[in-house]
Amino acid sequence: MPNESETLQSPGTVADAQASIGRLVGELRRVILGKEQTIDEVVAALLARGHVLLEGLPGLGKTELVKALSRALSLGFRRIQFTPDLLPTDITGSHILQERDGRKDFTFHPGPVFTNLLLADEINRASPKTQAALLEAMQERRVTTFGETRELPAPFFVMATQNPIELEGTYPLPEAQLDRFMFKVEISGVERPVLEEILLTRVHGEPPALEPVLAPHDLGALFAAVDAVHMPRAVASYIARLVAASHPSSAESPEAVRTFVKYGSSPRGAIAIGAASRGMALLRGKPNVGFDEVRRVAAPALAHRLVLDYAAKLEGWDGRRVVAALLESVPEVERGLPQTLAAR
Amino acid sequence: MDHLPVAVRSALRRLARRLAVGVFLDVWPPWAVGSLLLAGVVALVCRLLVPAAAPVLAWLWLAPILAALPALALCALRAYRPEQVLAIADSLSGGHGLLLALAERRDTSWSASPLLERIAALPMPRLQPLRRLSILVPALAFLWAALLLPQREAPRAAQAVLADQVVNELAATIVALKTNDLITPEEEKKLEEELERVRKSASERVDSSSWEAADALKERVAADVAEKRDALKWAQESLARYAAAAQAGANDPAGEVAAAGEGAELMKALSKLAESGMLSNAPASLKALAAGRVALPADAESLRRLQSTLAEFLGEQSEKFGDLAALGKEFGRFDPAEFPLESGSTGFDGDANPGNGGVSRGRADAPLTWGREALPFDRFKAQPLPPGHVRNPDDWAPMVVMPGTPSEQPQSSATGAARTYAAGAGQEAWRRTLAPRHQSAVRKYFEK
Repeated sequence: MPNESETLQSPGTVADAQASIGRLVGELRRVILGKEQTIDEVVAALLARGHVLLEGLPGLGKTELVKALSRALSLGFRRIQFTPDLLPTDITGSHILQERDGRKDFTFHPGPVFTNLLLADEINRASPKTQAALLEAMQERRVTTFGETRELPAPFFVMATQNPIELEGTYPLPEAQLDRFMFKVEISGVERPVLEEILLTRVHGEPPALEPVLAPHDLGALFAAVDAVHMPRAVASYIARLVAASHPSSAESPEAVRTFVKYGSSPRGAIAIGAASRGMALLRGKPNVGFDEVRRVAAPALAHRLVLDYAAKLEGWDGRRVVAALLESVPEVERGLPQTLAAR
Repeated sequence: MDHLPVAVRSALRRLARRLAVGVFLDVWPPWAVGSLLLAGVVALVCRLLVPAAAPVLAWLWLAPILAALPALALCALRAYRPEQVLAIADSLSGGHGLLLALAERRDTSWSASPLLERIAALPMPRLQPLRRLSILVPALAFLWAALLLPQREAPRAAQAVLADQVVNELAATIVALKTNDLITPEEEKKLEEELERVRKSASERVDSSSWEAADALKERVAADVAEKRDALKWAQESLARYAAAAQAGANDPAGEVAAAGEGAELMKALSKLAESGMLSNAPASLKALAAGRVALPADAESLRRLQSTLAEFLGEQSEKFGDLAALGKEFGRFDPAEFPLESGSTGFDGDANPGNGGVSRGRADAPLTWGREALPFDRFKAQPLPPGHVRNPDDWAPMVVMPGTPSEQPQSSATGAARTYAAGAGQEAWRRTLAPRHQSAVRKYFEK
């Protein structure tokens, strides 16, 4: 818990951190055109050391974004293409009987999860058993096989992608696993000017070559800077009220929540908002979290944590729309203006 | 918050003041409405039941101001805390959180941040008082309407009203007498006491004795007035006789003796006038003469002046008594002039049948009279009685026609007789002789 007597990070420190992040963002924007907001969200989640689920139609640059991120960060990168026949050991690794020095012994062969940045492509195509293999790795950042627990390298990020169409033969992620993703980032289509830019700058759609902009120790410094971002009590209260209001049983929940939400967000949702908003604040060059950052990260952090009922699907409501209703109904400050005063 | 820039602190102070005003405008209107409604109810009750409170009802307009006192106390309890003011300021300036962070960490390294400059130029929230104050309008209208109601006088007790009725006429008489200087202050005071005693007695219980007491007092007043009038007449007549005797005695010694006698009579009459207080406004010479301090003048000239003065004074007093005729009517006395006989053929009841009873004694609200009592100074005067009247036998109507010859033995009762004869003659016999409107009464009587 931060000491209240501590001072804020100096403007110089924050500016340096913002510059580093700016370089990373700049590189990503060179690769992924017209997705500034998506890039910001992914970087904020990365700075908060959270896992990200990217959802979008094929060809929108989900995989490319993760690959670009790995190149710009000069981190270890592995990619797993999830298929229905993928086994858990294909992810975590397995013990193989090997003969060495005349002795036969089981030797552990690490799976692709032993990396810094894991791209779980089309994660919803694997069986639940395989998806569950990621659970411990994502949450505990370690893997247990044959009763042996192995720590994953730090930092460890899971960037998963999934396709919202062609759902036949897929296994939707269970709520418990969804909850382990800090953000679920929805990648929408690109606009016509962006398409023109892509056509003009990319021959055969190849992205430009990227140079690493952040060394691992730079990333560690950024993580420390993110942790030092101050969260005022009023902002923490706002996050808590937002998450509490996401439950339909809450007295402060808006009508949309009471009507369409079956279960609200877990406390992990509040933690995710807090952590991501810290990353977003540093991205913006601020030594503290503000209400604005909370509003910015609320939708990607909360939308996938809300369990909607069938009425929401019938009425065309999704998680993001419910979060928008939440943001509209929950005031930033616990005690707002008197009734006789109106903000200009 | 001393570590914050001066401009930011100033903006925060302004915001705190604006918030305090907003809180007051949130809190006070319901209290004001309550106080106005309460004041309206009080005004309504006072208008209907408490006439004595009418002069102070206008103070009820101060009720909303008084209601501001508890509202202010409540505002003090609900006042925004400094951290709440900071949070609102931060939210209004875009929700960057820097102000909150600086306040919590007491850091000055970010004082030059452009975000803080935005807070220093924070647009104050706009006051919208009409939104809340509009609820006062119905309550104000209610109080206004309650105050506009006419003040209802408290219904006096029936006894008090009756008591007033008993003495009202007499009180008016006393006022009239005083106006005409026909009673002395002592008499007036005594009469007022008597009147109050009668009023008090009547306010406790009104019965015939109350009216009789008032009537007795009226009679006494009337008697006193009559006595004074008699004394005045006496004095006038004595003066005339004395003047004539003095004129005759100027040349005749026997006349002088007669004049002396008349002079003594005049002095007695003047003494009587003085006793009755009629000389209170008289010239000093007359007062001295009545008191016996001055003798009657002997010379013709002085006598003539005295006669003139006395005649003038007595004339003035007579005029006052002339007004008393109207006063006599107020006493409720019967005035025969109001019921003139028609060439001697009609009685007092107006149906030309004296003694026949009747209800023709005037209007229902006319004062009741109790006979032809003469005024005191008219007593013993002959009054012509109305001529007698013989009733026409044709006016009689038989009630029962008995068949056969009358019985020699009188019946013990009318009921028995009716039974006896009705049984023999049948019911048709008496039905023929009775007016339809009387039949039920007669039947009821005989069917007992």
